[in-house]
Amino acid sequence: MTEAVESLYRSFVDQDPAGAITVIESARAGGLDREQLFAEVFVPATAMLGLAWAESRIDEMTFTQAAVVAEQVLSFVTPQAAAADTGITVVVACIEGELHAVTRNVVVAALQEAGHRVIDLGVDVGPGTMLEKLEETSASILIVVAEQMGTAQAVRRVVDLLDGVGRRDVVVLVGGGPFAADSRLARSVGANGVVRGAESALTVVARVIRDRLGGEE
Amino acid sequence: MSARTTKAMLAEDLSRAGRTGSAVEACVVALEDDPNDPIAHALLAELLLREDFYDRAIAEATEAIECDPSCAPAYLVLGLGYDRRGGMWDQSVLVWHELAEVVPDLVTAHVQLGEAFSAASFEGEAIEAWTRALELDPTEPRAMYDLAVAALRREGPATALPGFRRAGALDPSQDELFLDIVGVSGSERVPPVDELPDDRDARLEAAAVYAAREDFLGATEVVRKVLDRGAEDARALALAAYAYVKQEADNEAMACALRALQIAPDDAAALYCLGVVYAKRPGLYRQAARAWATLAYAVPEHPMPHVLLAEALVGLQRYARAREAYLVAVRLDPACVRARFGLAAVYVTEGRHAEASWEIRRAAYYDTKRKDLFWRLFDDYVGGGEE
Repeated sequence: MTEAVESLYRSFVDQDPAGAITVIESARAGGLDREQLFAEVFVPATAMLGLAWAESRIDEMTFTQAAVVAEQVLSFVTPQAAAADTGITVVVACIEGELHAVTRNVVVAALQEAGHRVIDLGVDVGPGTMLEKLEETSASILIVVAEQMGTAQAVRRVVDLLDGVGRRDVVVLVGGGPFAADSRLARSVGANGVVRGAESALTVVARVIRDRLGGEE
Repeated sequence: MSARTTKAMLAEDLSRAGRTGSAVEACVVALEDDPNDPIAHALLAELLLREDFYDRAIAEATEAIECDPSCAPAYLVLGLGYDRRGGMWDQSVLVWHELAEVVPDLVTAHVQLGEAFSAASFEGEAIEAWTRALELDPTEPRAMYDLAVAALRREGPATALPGFRRAGALDPSQDELFLDIVGVSGSERVPPVDELPDDRDARLEAAAVYAAREDFLGATEVVRKVLDRGAEDARALALAAYAYVKQEADNEAMACALRALQIAPDDAAALYCLGVVYAKRPGLYRQAARAWATLAYAVPEHPMPHVLLAEALVGLQRYARAREAYLVAVRLDPACVRARFGLAAVYVTEGRHAEASWEIRRAAYYDTKRKDLFWRLFDDYVGGGEE
């Protein structure tokens, strides 16, 4: 590893981006992931650059140009911001009559960021459309959002429809103010769980994947 | 615009001196003499708001405006009174709209107008008001935070995060953290670079002061002199890193900060610079969170490391932990606007919208207080009367 660090440092100072990328590629071929490449190769090489500048072994111009090369390499070693594709499809919708979309927006964004394949059906969605999309995408998780008592009760229709067509395998999660305030309401409409916000959505979906779909979180 | 009576002046002096009880009495006496004195009504309204008597503050501010519809400080108290009382968003919208007309270049009026629109669920109008505020002052962080929270509601955390980062970059309190760590305020008197004594500590103090005054070339030149005497100087490297950070030379900053941390792993100044560089890159939120957590441990009494840690945790979708970090920041500094907005954002992700609105209202209260807005408007109003 020391050799890779020193080679990367030399590539920085020699203003050799191709050489720097070769060092990174070869370390990657040796089995390092991005997180390790960053921590074990890029960081120590950059610290060496700081040391060389502090000791005046490189001048200001070389320091700046070396930093430009470091920038070119950084995208190869920075861990990916969004998680890798989990392969799990989640259908999310606001129930028919429900036009308040804040909870849905937040849940959709959080699930997407976590690498799930999210089918966002929007607001005011009827049970038939939800079933159609579940069939089309082979999804097994449905999140239905309702923010008012009246629309919350209507989630029962979705569960009844899924039961009626023999899709009891679909995990129905509910979200929105009424369900967050009273979890008995979720049980009364036949839901499998309650999503209380972004982090809760990630936790509950991860649990469903682990317990019901036989996958890893 | 109105001339002050002697009794109103006494009330004003007492109020500015923080003698609330005596100031209230003086206002009452002034109003006994002249029940139509808008200045005494406005002062009394502010004093009542200060003590959380919202309804009475609203009544006095309304009286002041009835006496003189151009009494800008009274509009401010009236709007803040409505906002803090809650549930009066239609009146609040009208008041902030009026204030924006009376003082068209008052950025805070547009920010508050947007927040009142948002609380009344007029999101489109709210966004227009915040955009107008940013047109008047592109460095207004509260309008930026408001827009970020609105983006969070519309499209979720991923879209909102860049807005929070931009707002954070406009926030001077982040730089104040660094200056606190290195122990300068920027107002110290230091000689020019060529006249500095040949002493490490004096040079580093001067470099920090130069950096605080945004003379980054001066700061780097002095740091270089220190490093030429001894390259194993973590604090000198951290100051160099800060100068690079402020010039957006992130990789040079990272190189200096990482080297500084090899020498002194707990150097708070270097940790700060490294955290700033990492936090700019979405893929490095985990590393940023580690840097901020270590910094929070190193300077536990300062709210900003907890805010920065919370922001990195939001980037990692660790909302519950982010909430805890924001709450620590708010406990340390209830007036920390950035922490209040961050907390509001986390509450939105948890579907706790009432608590989110409450945090935004508290941020507004502390922000106007910090800016001393009442007295600025009051001085302009009274000054206009004397011309």
